[in-house]
Amino acid sequence: MAGHMSDEQYKSAVKAVWTATAILSVVTVVEVVVALTVGHLLPKFVLNSFFVIASVAKAFFIIGEFMHLKYEKRVFILSLGLPLLFLVWTLIALAVEGNYWNTLNFPK
Amino acid sequence: MAETLDIQEHKVEEHLQLPTPDNGEGGEKTVMDMSYGKTMMWYFLLSDAFTFSAFLIAYAAIRLGQPWWPNPNVVFKSFPFMHEANAPLGFVSVMTFVLILSSVAVVRAVQEGHRMNQKGVAIWMLGGIVGGLFFLGCQAWEWNNLIHEGLRPFYNPFGPDANGLTHLVHEHSIVSPGPIAFGALFFGITGFHGFHVFTGVCINVWAFFATINGTFQKRGHYEMIEKVGLYWHFVDLVWVFVFLAFYLM
Repeated sequence: MAGHMSDEQYKSAVKAVWTATAILSVVTVVEVVVALTVGHLLPKFVLNSFFVIASVAKAFFIIGEFMHLKYEKRVFILSLGLPLLFLVWTLIALAVEGNYWNTLNFPK
Repeated sequence: MAETLDIQEHKVEEHLQLPTPDNGEGGEKTVMDMSYGKTMMWYFLLSDAFTFSAFLIAYAAIRLGQPWWPNPNVVFKSFPFMHEANAPLGFVSVMTFVLILSSVAVVRAVQEGHRMNQKGVAIWMLGGIVGGLFFLGCQAWEWNNLIHEGLRPFYNPFGPDANGLTHLVHEHSIVSPGPIAFGALFFGITGFHGFHVFTGVCINVWAFFATINGTFQKRGHYEMIEKVGLYWHFVDLVWVFVFLAFYLM
C-alpha cells in the first residue's frame, strides 16, 4: 500500500519536528540557566512571569507540532481550548485565596 | 421482475451511503475531519488535563498560603554517581531533556506510519520506550534520594530551620521544619505523573509489538500509533508544568 504522504510533505514535516525539538531544548536550557545564575537577582514576580511564559510557549509547541493540533480543524481546537478557560478562572480564584490565608496566618 | 428488484436494491444502497467496512477502530469521519478514536483520545486528554490542573492549582493555593517554601535549588541538587554533588537542577534537566527526546521519537514514528514504513515505526517506537524507561529510572532514583534525605508525605526536612537558620517570617519565628504539605504535594503530583509515564510506556510497548507483528500494516494505516503518540506527548506536556511548579518557581 502506498503512503498517505508525499516526499516533500514528509521532508517538511520531519524538518518541522526537529525545529520544534531544538526550540523546546533551548527554552528549557535558558530556563535552567536563568534559575541558576540571574534568578536571585531578579524580583520574584519578574522571574516567575518569565518561567510561566516560557513554559506556556513550550506547551504550545508540544500541542501544536508534536500533537499535531495546529493542523486540525479550527472548531476542534476551540472545543479543546475553550473549556480550559475554566482553569484560568480557578487558578486566579485559588491564588487570591492562598494569598489571603498567608495574611491571616502571618499578619504583616 | 428480478431486474427491477436489482435496480431497487442498488438505489437503496446508494441512498443509505453505507459506511466503509469496519477496521476495528470505528474509523468513520466525524464532522471535525477526525476519526472517532482520535477525537475521543483528545477529549480523554482534556479531562486528564483538568485532573492535573486541579492538583497543580491546589499546590499553588497552598504554596501561596505559606510565608516560606523550600528552595528548589537546595532540595534538588543531587546527582547520581556524584556523592555530595552540588548540581542544582542538573539531574531534573537531564530527565526533562530525555522526556522531550522520547516524545520526538514517537512523533517520528507517527510520520513513518504515514509512509507505511513498518521498520521505521518500530525503531522510533523503541526509541520512545527507551526514553520513557530512562525517565522512570531517574524518577525512582530521585524519590529514593529524597526519602533518604528525610522527605515524607507528612514530614518536610527542607524547612527554614533545616540549615540551622533561625527564620523570621513577618516577625514570627517558624519552629518546625515545614511546610509539611511539600512532601505530600511533591510525591502526589510527581507520582501521578510518573504513573502516567509508566502506563504510557506499557501502551508504547504494546504498540511496538503490534507494529512488528504487522497488525497496523495489514490494517492499512498506523492511526493507532497516532493515538498512542497523543497520550505520550500529553505526558511530556504535563511534565512542562510539573517542572515549572516544583523545580523552577
